[in-house]
Amino acid sequence: MLPLTQTLKNKPTQILSQWIGWAFFRDLASGLSLTLSYMFSKTVTEQYPDKEKWVPFPRYRGHHFLNTNEEGDTNCVACELCAKICPCDCIDVVPFEDLKGNRRPKVFDIDLGRCLYCGLCEDACPANAIKLGQHYEYSCENSEELTVGRDVLMGMPRKSELGGAVFDASLSTIDGVHVKEVENGQGRDWWQDIRRN
Amino acid sequence: MEELIPIVVLLAKLIVVIVVLLILPIPLTWLERKIAGHIQQRLGPMRVGWHGLLQPLADGIKLLTKEDHIPAEADRFLFKIAPIVALVATFALFVVLPFGESFSVFDQEITLYLADMNVALLYVLAVSGLHVFAVILGGWASNSKYAILGSLRTCAQMISYEIPMGFAVVGVVMLAQSMSLVSIVEAQSEVWNIVYQPLGFTVFFIAGLAEAQRIPFDLAEAEGDLGAGYHTEYSGMRFSLFMISEYMVVVFMASLTVILFFGGWNDFLVPLPSFVWFALKVGFFIWVFMWLRFTFPRYRYDQLMSIGWKVLLPLSIANILVSGFIMS
Ligand code: SF4
Ligand code: SF4
Repeated sequence: MLPLTQTLKNKPTQILSQWIGWAFFRDLASGLSLTLSYMFSKTVTEQYPDKEKWVPFPRYRGHHFLNTNEEGDTNCVACELCAKICPCDCIDVVPFEDLKGNRRPKVFDIDLGRCLYCGLCEDACPANAIKLGQHYEYSCENSEELTVGRDVLMGMPRKSELGGAVFDASLSTIDGVHVKEVENGQGRDWWQDIRRN
Repeated sequence: MEELIPIVVLLAKLIVVIVVLLILPIPLTWLERKIAGHIQQRLGPMRVGWHGLLQPLADGIKLLTKEDHIPAEADRFLFKIAPIVALVATFALFVVLPFGESFSVFDQEITLYLADMNVALLYVLAVSGLHVFAVILGGWASNSKYAILGSLRTCAQMISYEIPMGFAVVGVVMLAQSMSLVSIVEAQSEVWNIVYQPLGFTVFFIAGLAEAQRIPFDLAEAEGDLGAGYHTEYSGMRFSLFMISEYMVVVFMASLTVILFFGGWNDFLVPLPSFVWFALKVGFFIWVFMWLRFTFPRYRYDQLMSIGWKVLLPLSIANILVSGFIMS
């Protein structure tokens, strides 16, 4: 109810119509009609992990991967610059010389539990080897598993051009828990489903 | 042998009513969560069964296997008996509720109610007050500040809505010239009471919301400020007894609204079996109860009391006066 001074300023007809409105629950009815329209509008729930999955934009900094060259060997020259610049000190590189005489990492461990995903390692790398991808599902049963080695990093998915959309997906528990996107072209723009009024 | 048939029929009806009432909370919890979800543009339960239909069963298993905890220094006897009082009081309400027109099988008339009392309405008003005792006992026995605050609020709330509620149904009794629920429904076979008694319906419905302790009058529970109110300390099976009785009160209030104001099982446009019509109308009102729950915030309890005493009571008395003048 409006304060008395406010009510006195209004014209008598306004006051009358206000009271008639209150008597017939006009304010309650407008609330109810709003919730009724919401009840039958589209929902915004993203059915992760059962049916849908959000694939982040390509600029997203997620799980690292190591780029490979045409021979399937890693680009990394084991210069250890990434290990030096890393503010969390979570990269461990041990170099060796392979049969072709190239300097390559024998050990390349990243402790993903300590990484803060700043992307400095990506910036520092002179060989365009280490990159941060769009993968973000890390679930595992103990924290040691969060330290991943060279071969895992080489096998991680590369940056995908798609992204910034919700894709159809399905949950798979083979080889760790992952949600795999179903390849069917363009995803759905999730933000479009949110009512703006 | 002949004399035994009515008893067998009565027992069969009793069993059907009890089974249906015990099963009803299962779909209702699902419905409530779905409605809550969709009003908030969520989906509600989706993972157990098709669209989460089996979710209540999963919840039931969880509740049954939970630890049954009684707080230290609680009044153990009252604590144990409160959920049972809640359940018994609500079951007792359904004794007088007619579900449909009577029909005959093998020359035996089957009535779709357990008892047709000539003072059914009085019985309903009296017994529905008993449910409040369970809430008071539960809160008192828990030895917890939230629970006791919940019961105190119930005590304060109870008088302020039961009196307007009693007055609101007087108009219906005057129209039907009877307090039996069956005759009240039969009196509405032409025109439903809502046409003659819109004010009575409004008062009754608002008081009914308070009676069922639903938002906007769920002061005894008040998740926001009291944890869970009177059943804060309850867990497992005892908690689920409270939940079942709460849903049954909702079903009962919806049925009573239908019987008193919306023509009971009388059909409307489409001829369907009487109990189907009854179930459809009751379902609609249950849905309205849930819709209200997720639309409105909660009233303070002094506000509820001023609504009860200053608005509902005068309105219900005015309703009786006006009905009396028109009828004479
Ligand atoms: S993203 Fe940052 S914290 Fe993570 S490994 Fe690279 S440099 Fe270290
Ligand atoms: S990933 Fe790049 S920065 Fe790190 S050791 Fe290899 S080449 Fe050097």
